[in-house]
Order: sequence, then structure tokens, then C-alpha cells
Amino acid sequence: MDETSLIQSAQNGDLDSFNTLILHYQDTVFNTALRILGDEDIAQDAAQEAFISAFRSISTFRGGSFKAWMMRTVTNACYDELRRQKRRPTTPLEPETSDGEEIDSPKWLADPNMTPAQQSEADELEHAIQHCLNALPTDFRTVVVLADIQGMDYSEVAAASKVPLGTIKSRLARARLRLRECLRGFEELLPASFRLEGESIQ
Amino acid sequence: MKNFNEIELLSSYLDGQLNASESKRLETRLAADPELASVLNDLRAARGILRKLPVRKAPRNFTLTRQMVGLKPPLPRTYSIFQFSTAFATVLLLLTFALNTIFPPLGMGGASGVAAPMAGGYGGGPTGSGGGCDTCTEDQALQSAAAVATEAPAATEAPAVAAEILTTATPALEMQIAPTADGTLRETEPTADAVQTPKEGEPESFAANEEPINHNAMIPAVWQVVLAVIILLSGLAMWLARRSAYRKWQ
Repeated sequence: MDETSLIQSAQNGDLDSFNTLILHYQDTVFNTALRILGDEDIAQDAAQEAFISAFRSISTFRGGSFKAWMMRTVTNACYDELRRQKRRPTTPLEPETSDGEEIDSPKWLADPNMTPAQQSEADELEHAIQHCLNALPTDFRTVVVLADIQGMDYSEVAAASKVPLGTIKSRLARARLRLRECLRGFEELLPASFRLEGESIQ
Repeated sequence: MKNFNEIELLSSYLDGQLNASESKRLETRLAADPELASVLNDLRAARGILRKLPVRKAPRNFTLTRQMVGLKPPLPRTYSIFQFSTAFATVLLLLTFALNTIFPPLGMGGASGVAAPMAGGYGGGPTGSGGGCDTCTEDQALQSAAAVATEAPAATEAPAVAAEILTTATPALEMQIAPTADGTLRETEPTADAVQTPKEGEPESFAANEEPINHNAMIPAVWQVVLAVIILLSGLAMWLARRSAYRKWQ
């Protein structure tokens, strides 16, 4: 059964068809939520909420890219979760000294597990990237996750984010620039290929 | 550091979003401007790192259950018919109660022919001055009195029954018969019982005499019973249909 037929069946209330779509998209949806939210448990909740919301509103899907539509649903679920977190603030990410000043390079304190001795190189890279993603404003993070991590094109990202194409271009450029600056601090954790690439641009 | 417009242009170029002429123009500039080329490499590196992120497998399946999305089983078409009939019959039943309550005069008017002699039995008769029904006859009064008397438990003996009938019928009748009754009753014991029985039987006489009023209500009780039966049967059918649908669904 192809995707279009599954979507049509789901629109007629067939939950099994929608579950087939879920099985196909759940990794993408979960990864998107994970990169936007930066927490696995919260990302699971957001992904589940996104699928429930998607099934309830699948009748509003009017064709086009189902992936983009699904990404918009999960992005909305992530925004809802971030808003909830804002209402219930937790421990600040940026550690402070006893004088109340922010520590210049808090990356080791932000994630105490991020030591080369304890984790593999892949894990360290992932933590470093996630740390830099978390430092981005939410709108920038969403765009960069959809475009660079999920590999969506600009029009799909625009559809998923519900913002104009020009804004997507602008946000993506800014986000990439900020990420590059942030990742410079993790140069030693990056794979050799990337380090060489980084050196070549000096 | 380049201005942001140039950075945006480089980012779009990286993603192949520029048209051919724009790309060619930028490539010429890149060849001539090492700083611009350096920024392009920075952006490419950032994108490359993001693409190196491992794709995590979902830790669990996110498939939905019917309970999660609040889905209900499809009910048979007959369900809606039963639903309608239950609702309609309920409304009608309530309406009958309302009509019988709002318009009691209609019900009482119909029953006045029977109720008045009874009232006359206690307060005044057709021939007496106590009020009641002017059109009632003594026969009617006697009939109703006889009906009361047959239900009175103490009225087992003929003299007592007769006394009861007479005492519960009308004062006028009582007055006419009283001397005779007094004459016979003074010599026998049952006199006291016969005299007291009507007093004990009064509440029962009231209860017995309320029934004709109901029978003459605006909406007869039989209709209310029929409606109640329809409601019960339709409700039962709905319950069975729903149960069967859930079983099939599971």
C-alpha cells in the first residue's frame, strides 16, 4: 500500500493505516524532536503528542509533502513543550561563578559525561553538536534541524515552519554561522576529517 | 567579516538555491576574495558536522491505540433509530406528566361526577346543604358508598355494612335512617363497631376514591405505561447494539 492510499485510509478513520505511516516516520519525527528539545524523554513525549495530534487533524491534510506536514506537527509539539518548560523553569544551563558571573566555557559543566575517556568519539561529537544546537534560538534551531539534519529542502522547511522562504534562508545562514562559531570550541572532539577541513579554511 | 547579505547568499549557494547567473557571479567573487571563500568553508563545515549527527532509532514504537485517540466503534444504523425513539418517547412521557400536572381541572372535571358524591359523603350530599355536586343522584352516592364499604375490612357483617354504607354515604341519608338504626343497634354489641368502623376506614376510603381521578386524567395512565415500555425497550436495544459493536471491534 503506497503512502497516498495510507493517508486516504487514515483520513477515513483507519487507525491501522495511520499506524503504518507512524512506523515509517517515527525515527524522523523522534530525531527532529530530540534535536529541537535536546532531551530524549521529552522528545519521546513530544513525538507521541505529535502523532496523536496528526491523526486527529489528518483530515486537514490537503496533499503535498506528508513529511513536511508531519514535521510541522512535531515542530508545533516541540514548541508547546518548550513553552511549558518556560512556564516551569528548571536549572539554568549556563553555570555561574560564586560572584554570579557566567563561566566562559561551560561545555564540560553543561554535560559532565562529555569526557573522551568515558564516551566514544561519536557520542562526544553528538553531545557537542547538541550543546551548540541548544544554544541557538528556537526558531533558528528548528530551521537548521529540518534543513541540515533532516535534509529537507527550503520549500519543505518553509511549509513545515509556516514562515516565508526568505526567512528560512536568513535563519539558516545565521544558524550555520553561529554553529560554526560554537563548534570551534569543540575542535578537539571533532573527527579528524572535520578538523582538517576546519584548518583548511584558516 | 562579511555583511549578512553575503553570508545568506553563501548559505543559499551551498544548498544550490541560487540560479545559474547568481552562482556564476558568486563563484567569480569567491575566486577573487579569500575571506569570502573562508566564510563559505565555515558554513560548509557547519553543515557537514550537522550531517554527521547519527540518526537515532526511535526508542519505542509510537503507534496509536484507539483509546489514545478516543476512537469509538462504528455503531449499526439501527442504533440511531433506537436512540431517536428513546429520546422521543422520553419527551412524550415527560410531556404527559407535565400536562396532567398543569391541567388538573380537566382531569378533575371529568372525575367530578364521581368525586362529588364522595365529597358529599363526608361533607354534604346531593340533597344536603353541604355543597358537592348538584347533578349527582342518590343512586350514585350509594354506589360509591357501596364500593367503599366492600373494601372496608371491618364491614363483614350485614348490619355493620349497612350502617357503614349509610354513615359514609350522606348525612342526609344518615339522618333518615338513623332513628331506625339506633333502635336496632342499641340492643346489640356490634353497634359500637359499626359506629366506629367508618372512622377507622376513612383514610382507606380516601385512597380508594383517588383512583377514579387518575383514570380521568388528561393523558390516560395507559399511555404513560406504553411510553415507559418503549423507552425501556429502546434503551435495552441500544445497549445491546453498542455492546455488540464493541465486541466486534475488539
